[in-house]
Amino acid sequence: MSRDRFLDSPTIWVLLIGAAALFLLLLVGYPIAYNLVMSVQEVTLGNLPSFSRPWVGLQNYRQLLADPLFLLVAKNTLIFTVANVAVQFVLGLGLALYFQLSFPASSFLRGLVLVGWMLPPLVIGAVWKWLLGSDSGFVNYALQGLGLISGKIYWLADPLLSLVAVTIANIWFGVPFNMILLAAGLAGIPTDIYEAAALDGAGPVRRFIWITLPLLRPTIYALLSLTTVYTMRAFDLIYTMTHGGPLDSSNIFPVWSYRMSFELFDFGGGAAIATAMFALVLVVALAYVRSVNAERPM
Amino acid sequence: MSRPGSAGDGVRRALAPLRPWLLTAGGVVIAAVYLFPVYWMVISSLKANPELFAATPTLYPHAPTLAAFRWIFARENVGLYLQNSAIISFSVTALTLVLATGAAYALARIRTFWTAAMVVAIMAVQVLPPPLLVTPMFVIFRQIGLVNTQFAVILATTTKVLPFAIIMLRTSFAQIPVELEEAARVDGCPRFVAFFHITLPLARTGYIVVSSLVFLLAYGEFVYPLSLMNHKDLQPGPVGLYSFIGADFADWPDALAFATVFVAPVIVLYMFLQRRIVSGLTAGALK
Amino acid sequence: MKRRTFCTLATAGSASLALGARPARAATTVSLWHIFGYSTEPGLINITRFNQTRTDVQIDGKSVPFGQLSQQLVKAVATGDVPDLITIDNPTVASFAGQGVLEEVGAKVAASKGLARSRFFPGSWATTIFQGKQFAVPGEVNTLMFYVNQDMLRAGGVDPAKPPQTWAELTAVAAKVADSAKGKYGIGVSAIQTEEGTFQWLPFLQQSGAGLKTLTSPDAVAALQLWVDWVQKGYASHDILVKRQSEMTDAWLAGNSAMSLSGPWELPRILRDVKFNWTVIPMPVRADKNIHATALGGYVWAIPKGAKNVDAAFQVIEYMLAPEQAARSFAGGRLPAVQDVQPPADLPRAEVYAGFESQLQYARPRGPSPEWPRISEALQRAIQEAITGQQPAQQALATAAATIAPLLQRYPIEGM
Repeated sequence: MSRDRFLDSPTIWVLLIGAAALFLLLLVGYPIAYNLVMSVQEVTLGNLPSFSRPWVGLQNYRQLLADPLFLLVAKNTLIFTVANVAVQFVLGLGLALYFQLSFPASSFLRGLVLVGWMLPPLVIGAVWKWLLGSDSGFVNYALQGLGLISGKIYWLADPLLSLVAVTIANIWFGVPFNMILLAAGLAGIPTDIYEAAALDGAGPVRRFIWITLPLLRPTIYALLSLTTVYTMRAFDLIYTMTHGGPLDSSNIFPVWSYRMSFELFDFGGGAAIATAMFALVLVVALAYVRSVNAERPM
Repeated sequence: MSRPGSAGDGVRRALAPLRPWLLTAGGVVIAAVYLFPVYWMVISSLKANPELFAATPTLYPHAPTLAAFRWIFARENVGLYLQNSAIISFSVTALTLVLATGAAYALARIRTFWTAAMVVAIMAVQVLPPPLLVTPMFVIFRQIGLVNTQFAVILATTTKVLPFAIIMLRTSFAQIPVELEEAARVDGCPRFVAFFHITLPLARTGYIVVSSLVFLLAYGEFVYPLSLMNHKDLQPGPVGLYSFIGADFADWPDALAFATVFVAPVIVLYMFLQRRIVSGLTAGALK
Repeated sequence: MKRRTFCTLATAGSASLALGARPARAATTVSLWHIFGYSTEPGLINITRFNQTRTDVQIDGKSVPFGQLSQQLVKAVATGDVPDLITIDNPTVASFAGQGVLEEVGAKVAASKGLARSRFFPGSWATTIFQGKQFAVPGEVNTLMFYVNQDMLRAGGVDPAKPPQTWAELTAVAAKVADSAKGKYGIGVSAIQTEEGTFQWLPFLQQSGAGLKTLTSPDAVAALQLWVDWVQKGYASHDILVKRQSEMTDAWLAGNSAMSLSGPWELPRILRDVKFNWTVIPMPVRADKNIHATALGGYVWAIPKGAKNVDAAFQVIEYMLAPEQAARSFAGGRLPAVQDVQPPADLPRAEVYAGFESQLQYARPRGPSPEWPRISEALQRAIQEAITGQQPAQQALATAAATIAPLLQRYPIEGM
């Protein structure tokens, strides 16, 4: 039974984690380090192929902070992320709870909602750009038809609204992801606990607060962190819908980084933004692990 | 909060048999509202260009035409794109599940400083979007001679979905009481066997959801295939979609027809697998 | 019907394309990254023909979406894994050349019989020169004209036979036909925060008599104020801030905008989809200045430094610009960069193509300057600040001028 002894030894744990870790370290760790190095160098198209480029220390970061766009983009990223994470979660939870009720075709309908998540971002961006168009967009047409607005709403062209517009589209895109993961979490809650609670006279609201939410907590933590990370790297949708405009009113860090690198060829600046994003997400990841570890071990 | 015997209670009792159907109706409405943009995509692919951008949007195609569909099938080897997409996404899903299972299980069962640090790292490496990662990745793939192969795309795409799979599966494993495994082991069952016979089946909901989402994420990936492969006949659907987004203008009915054809097989696949997926997602699967 | 002709041409191309996709091993293979899709069909046909007629050299083509071209090229440069030949947007030549990314081709061009300088449109030629050296060869050119929906003009009480010739007339016509509440506009331009926005507005700046060095002059302000007024008075849609040129043409095709500024690349689909009487008119001038100026777009052929098959790549360039291949451009709504090629006899609406060709004499290059992306970005900001009303035109341009002046000092641009 030497195989079993091996499988019970601590070595196996190291191997199990090691395989995935090595894979990620090699294929993502290297690119992240590559970005980090670029962020402290002066990188041009000319010296891009070699690593021996002029060292500029924190110059790229200083320039970033001094850029008049920095505060605007940071604010946009914050609003975009918070709004997305919160609304996607609330809607996702609502839908997950609704489709968990027993009624005919509930599972089928829940699966159908996932279709929105399958479309390529390019197509989602294009469709939403039409729906939100101020002249012939369906949203304005419907709102006018319902008598809710008399004029037009410039969803995309108004710098005060463009962030709202891309946020709506991105929420739409992210809700199924939240819903399905929460549904899976709900499915993991043993029904006998509910039955016992019902016998004790607990109403649906109390059962939700005292049973569902606590048992769902691991899923919720994971989901909130993942949604935060995914929202912070959202790129295609905004790029297709507004390109970050007008006047950078819908510009967020990944879009800015992309434009700096590939439109202005300021690779050091683009890399500095990427590194800053990485640092931000590190904070989110730390928060996640802390909250997970605060759970009582099962 | 109606008291027993009140009028409201009577109404409720009378409606009770209808309740499931009312809920179904509500579910249909939710799905319909939610899927409206998808509906818009499909009807737009059936509209000719002027109607597509009419000042007053038309809720259904007034002059439906299949021209866009005929056009894309005449012009592009749609089947090949779908085949490439399928090969890539199934491989990514398989590779991801293999790599994620061990790591997720180990990270769920062992709690040390190092495993916590691993989780932080795994969460954080997801943040950079593919356009910023692909250049250094290309360097690696060239070193190992994988440029221009679907294998490179599979590996690259796996890096995008693996952290997600590890984190979610880890959550699933963590919810399974370790006592169940220990009880089996007391009966003389090795950990390996206990894992496959007890833990894995209990985590099936997590697996179903994670593998579906991983598959869909891989199915839509665009930057990696475009950047890592040069030959058109290796490319998946999202790259094909760009054939209709020209340098100067996009032929939207064609692009949308292509997108519709691109997602249709996945929807059909879902219909077929639906029963299985549903049984995994039924409330209280874990008893 | 129109679609069928386009289809026949296209299907012929794609059928043979499948055969030519994987070139034989024995020959020298030129890897070519190009922007040809269905909108620029002739390029694909030329590749196929080349592979059919040549045995010693074969083209291995890869279509790169225009929006991804820059990113893909950066990746290629960074990894040293460059294609032998690329098509790039003409204002980016200086950026790439200035950083030593492109092979100098001046000597080869001078020695080439087919690529005599006299064959090319001068403006287009100028985009390939940086600091006295030539880094590319013009491929196809385009320029801007107003596409006019004559039915809409007539409905607004404007005689389509007397189209606007000055800014004032243009605005007056727009005022007559626009009904913004119904989503009908007089003018379609793109003020998007990308290079396309610069491409469209720059001619107005030049027509005003101002230039990049005189952005704070009253003339420059007038050029920007013209656009601001169009939007504020409802002659143009607010959506011009986020719509590409092609999206403005979508609106024009749907009958929502009477006069839309765009290039010949729209012609194939306009011929296919249009449902009203239409024509093109040259960009109107500013009455007191009478300066004709329009934009110069199009791609150029360039050989990245480090390419393995420079000679063979250059042969491909020569082939593509030979009269027979160059003439094929027209069918794709493109104009060849060489002047000595006649459009095919069966070209529909030949007078429209001729109109675009005649405008090329006024087409001015953007740059060349390695700092063009930054200059362009500053202009985009100014345009958007003024149109959204965040800054008066005067002030918006002053901000842009402050950014642009040092860039011009470093790399002076002739004639701008």
